[in-house]
Amino acid sequence: MSDKTPKEQNSIPTSKVERSAKFVKTGFKIGGNYIKHYSKKLFNPDMDKSELNEDNASDIYESLSELKGSALKVAQMLSMDKNLLPQAYTDKFSQSQYNAPPLSGPLIVQTFKKYFGKTPDKIYDKFNVRSSNAASIGQVHQAELDGKKLAVKIQYPGVGDSISSDLKLVKPFAFRMLGMSERELDVYMKEVEERLLEETDYELEVRRSIEFSNACAGLDNVVFPKYYPELSSKRIITMDWLEGKHLREFLHTNPSQQLRNKIGQALWDFYNFQQHELRAVHADPHPGNFMITSDDKLGVIDFGCIKEMPEDFYYPFFSLTSTGLMDNKEETIKAFRQLEMIHPNDTPAQIEFYYGMYRQMIGLFAKPYITDHFDFGQTAFFEELYGFGEKVSKMPEFKQARGVKHFIYVNRTNFGLYNILHELKAEVKTDTFKPHVVEQFV
Amino acid sequence: MATIESIQKAYIDFVLTEGTQPKSVYVFAKKNKMTEEEFYRFFGSFDAIEQHLWTNFAVRTIAEIKTQEVWGQYSAREKALSFFYSFFELLKSSRSFVVYSIKKQPKSFTTPVIFTGMKDAFESFCSDLITEGLETNELSERKFFSNRYKDALWVQLVFVLNFWINDNSTGFEKTDEAIEKGINVTFDLFQRSPIDNLFEYGKFLAKNGGLTEKMGFGSN
Repeated sequence: MSDKTPKEQNSIPTSKVERSAKFVKTGFKIGGNYIKHYSKKLFNPDMDKSELNEDNASDIYESLSELKGSALKVAQMLSMDKNLLPQAYTDKFSQSQYNAPPLSGPLIVQTFKKYFGKTPDKIYDKFNVRSSNAASIGQVHQAELDGKKLAVKIQYPGVGDSISSDLKLVKPFAFRMLGMSERELDVYMKEVEERLLEETDYELEVRRSIEFSNACAGLDNVVFPKYYPELSSKRIITMDWLEGKHLREFLHTNPSQQLRNKIGQALWDFYNFQQHELRAVHADPHPGNFMITSDDKLGVIDFGCIKEMPEDFYYPFFSLTSTGLMDNKEETIKAFRQLEMIHPNDTPAQIEFYYGMYRQMIGLFAKPYITDHFDFGQTAFFEELYGFGEKVSKMPEFKQARGVKHFIYVNRTNFGLYNILHELKAEVKTDTFKPHVVEQFV
Repeated sequence: MATIESIQKAYIDFVLTEGTQPKSVYVFAKKNKMTEEEFYRFFGSFDAIEQHLWTNFAVRTIAEIKTQEVWGQYSAREKALSFFYSFFELLKSSRSFVVYSIKKQPKSFTTPVIFTGMKDAFESFCSDLITEGLETNELSERKFFSNRYKDALWVQLVFVLNFWINDNSTGFEKTDEAIEKGINVTFDLFQRSPIDNLFEYGKFLAKNGGLTEKMGFGSN
């Protein structure tokens, strides 16, 4: 692609056939990019892959951004996982967070009629047909009832249906990009599909939102909107309208270090309380899911994506954050085996290699947990983290898929959290909710 | 005493149970304990009953959407969308009849007799909103074509009808998607678009064609 500006989108490909066509086109383009790359390389052997990555990313991005719903979600997810993808991909993907055409007013009215048998103006005292925000699988409207300001989230029709087919379409590209085989990727794709399908179930989301906001009610400086199950359905969620600023806007107001620390602490507590006490976590630490309220508290507004952590993942993984275990090579290898980071038929040399690499990787990840406070503002830590990710992604040993499926969302959650804390440049007390650790494995 | 409604009801019941129209008005009247004369007082034929039912669907939809509070704020595009959604919502309660009625129509390009009344109602509704759209410059005035906009909407309606009777997604969500996307594309075409600019440019070149030759770029 010589033309770097994205073309204006005038229509959304509708049918599965059209969508496939879209993806097939991308496939050809990526194939073309590889040919371009290797033919250039013939003449210039020193050329690195960054131009190729850039070409691929912009083609994939263009194709994904013309599709709505789940494909967009996948794009967003890949963009969160900066450690998994080379920089060029992620830069393009981060753009996808700002792209989605709105639903028409009559379709909104129709959705209400379908689920409540009434038009929105009969349900609320006031209802604004123009949406105030777009999310990737729905949009948010402002309403009023009994003097209360409400946020009403409405889902695009047909999202659930298209998720499975979209993922099937994304798969060939994903394994291409990540350099994995299709069979290996399957486990991970299933995990993603499960979570995505859960996100389309608004009844489940309301139940969970209420559960989680009750469970987290004791946390300092974290607030949740009230949810109204009687005004919610499979495609509609009604909740209180949280007044406040989004993270980016908040940062533009040049908040004091003290205030940034307060918000960062709330965020840290919110995530670590869930991970270590509830063993289930809000797995979508996208900056858009948080608000900073006018009284300087952290508002959490989206519980669509929850990742539950089973014991056989939780203990081996979080125990690795304790120095006691990391210093014990034998037990550490046992933990790696449980997490399938080391495979049963690995040779001794391979075991040694992966032990070294993963120990370093988790050592990096666990840094904030080792001390009782951590300064997320320092760039050195993040450079080290990305540098390591970049290095690993180029190693042939990591072409093969390793690690249990739970890593996808747990990594996404924690790296997402680290990223937001970094943006906040917050200094956080990290010993508020500590991981539960075992130091010996059977 | 037979009424329009009682005859319609009896007729729907008959065709859905038997899967076909009654053999004759005589048979139908006798079965429903009325005289043929009573039947003919309301309808000239069985097709007339269906025609009346279809017209009624459209008329009721139009009346219903106009009572919605937001109606006044809607653009022409949204008014059309609103009609489509409400129309299919209304059809849901008579889906079996709708499927029966459409499936027995021979495939052809002419409008089936049973749709004629509905088409009139729909087209006059469309003409109103198109006029309004042209006045507010939401839609683009094009010689010859703007008179045909309503035909495009009618084609959409027939298309979505056929889509809907074959739709087996939950809550007919696919039909909602078909409406949202189809109507939006149609209205995108009604708006001022690159095609207009291309056409204007073509006109300009045709009118000023001599100029290119004078400047020495003409082909010879």
